[in-house]
Amino acid sequence: MLLEVKDIHVHYGKIAALHGVSLEVDEGEIVTLIGANGAGKTTTLKTISGLRPLSRGKIMFDGADISRVAGHKRVLSGIGQAPEGRGIFPGMTVTENLMMGCYARKGDVSRDLAQVFELFPRLAERKDQAGGTMSGGEQQMLAIGRALMTNPRVLLLDEPSMGLAPKLIQQIFSIIQEINRRGTTVLLVEQNAQQALQVAHRAYVIETGEIVKSAEASALLDDPEVRAAYLGGGADRPVGGSEPEQAAGAPEEPRDG
Amino acid sequence: MKATHNVHNFLEQFWPSTVDGLALGSIYALIALGYTMVYGVLRLINFAHSEIFMIGTMAVIGALHALGVSSLYGGLGLVGFVIVLAFLAGLASGASAVVLELVAYRPLRKKGASRLAALISAIGASLFLQQLFARIVIPEAFDLPKEKGALPVQGHFVERDNVIEIGDLVISNDKLIIFVGAILMMVALDQFVNRTRLGRGIRATAQDPETAVLMGVNIDRIVTATFAIGGAMAGVAAALFMLRFEEAKFDVGFLLGIKAFTAAVLGGIGNLRGALAGGLVLGLVEMYGAALFGTQWQHVIAFSVLVLVLMFRPTGILGESLQQARA
Ligand SMILES: Nc1ncnc2c1ncn2[C@@H]1O[C@H](COP(=O)(O)OP(=O)(O)OP(=O)(O)O)[C@@H](O)[C@H]1O
Ligand SMILES: [Mg+2]
Repeated sequence: MLLEVKDIHVHYGKIAALHGVSLEVDEGEIVTLIGANGAGKTTTLKTISGLRPLSRGKIMFDGADISRVAGHKRVLSGIGQAPEGRGIFPGMTVTENLMMGCYARKGDVSRDLAQVFELFPRLAERKDQAGGTMSGGEQQMLAIGRALMTNPRVLLLDEPSMGLAPKLIQQIFSIIQEINRRGTTVLLVEQNAQQALQVAHRAYVIETGEIVKSAEASALLDDPEVRAAYLGGGADRPVGGSEPEQAAGAPEEPRDG
Repeated sequence: MKATHNVHNFLEQFWPSTVDGLALGSIYALIALGYTMVYGVLRLINFAHSEIFMIGTMAVIGALHALGVSSLYGGLGLVGFVIVLAFLAGLASGASAVVLELVAYRPLRKKGASRLAALISAIGASLFLQQLFARIVIPEAFDLPKEKGALPVQGHFVERDNVIEIGDLVISNDKLIIFVGAILMMVALDQFVNRTRLGRGIRATAQDPETAVLMGVNIDRIVTATFAIGGAMAGVAAALFMLRFEEAKFDVGFLLGIKAFTAAVLGGIGNLRGALAGGLVLGLVEMYGAALFGTQWQHVIAFSVLVLVLMFRPTGILGESLQQARA
């Protein structure tokens, strides 16, 4: 296994956001983690990247326990992330944003830069534009391109389709597949379950801080419970059988940062 | 009649006020850099920065004592001497700022304490350092009686002369060195922040600290660098200040610190170029104001300007920029 998350518990203050999340990502896979608002998807990715401490459980990467490794070191060992909300540095140009991706790396990066520009020609056209003035879709491309510049072994993507027009969503998802074909493992967090399940090999469903289902992605596409809860199949009853308010009712909290 | 007298006085004092304002403003600007950089990276107002400046002035006085300066310096010799003093003071202030962060702020940050807690720690550190220097360091180091209130007065070391005289515009060597020195430091810092890797790390952390970590930026190292640079700038400011005033005491940083903080806010806190603009504007306003209304109004005018600017342009003259509006 490349990445193993084993029964992690994560708290914000006294409130538990994750109580016992386990998932695995094997080399070469696209694995998706789907779930409603406030289910704990972002928290899971942040904990894998070392932005949040865990209070129980552990995270293994390439066979080593990295639970206590500082976040900035995890990047060097091969965990790259395009965060929720894209995290573009608004005052930096497109090129400067991309170059931040190889902040901690040594050696020549011109080939990686050329590859990102080839994958996203749009970014090449806008090299010198300030990141903060880019459109939502362009910013998403920039966030993914910048994460690729860290030369990741596993790429964590937090809702790359958020706020984008359907045509752009198609484009982003096919680029994710292309990135995976070129050899990068992907852990994809999505609310857009339909699309995510179509590109992924395997999938996990998370509800209120717990994994409630895991299966082949194609199997979940046909799963009646998943269809009902996440694929617009009518009855909005979550998979785990808890009340909808509990599963999806967590309001958007103000976040620091 | 009173008003016309004031205006008359102001016109007569215009060039001297301009020169004095720019010299004073340069010192504000250099000190303001420390406030603005730390605020940019940590969203913390480092109240003890005024004491970091004070430590710089003490380093200068210490160096003068140690070197046993007896003659006056002028011309290029003065420039060289000021560079040495600025280097020493920058080192002392920079190192003190790093220690300050390690002792007073980092433990709180690691515990995830609120910003209010950090601010209170900052005020505490400020008072602690003042009293430490007033009661122990200054009396011991300069062999002064304790009840003298820790007031080391160093004999003069600057031979003043006028290097530029064009009609009413008269610029003395000390003021020229202050202005040019400050501008050079600002340019160097600007280049550093925009062109070096560490500088990019500082900007990234200021704009979005979590994403910076995802890029492999070691935040602790960035914070240390920020305090070191901001502190060193205050040290250089201290050396330039000593060039003009040739004396200091334990609370020399208090009013200057508040003024420099005002300059940082005026220019747009978090914005490096704003610190320069804010410092120079504040220095000029103070000196013009003093010429118009009398020197006793100098501080009132400075803070009135702050209030007015904040009322009409809450983000300062140039607005936030080191971090920009967080996306
Ligand atoms: N900084 C924070 N402080 C306090 N609680 C938080 C914070 N961030 C997240 N939470 C809480 O943790 C839980 C999980 O949030 P998380 O952001 O991981 O959900 P998510 O699945 O990513 O949701 P979304 O689809 O809306 O992005 C929620 O109840 C949320 O309110
Ligand atoms: Mg989320």
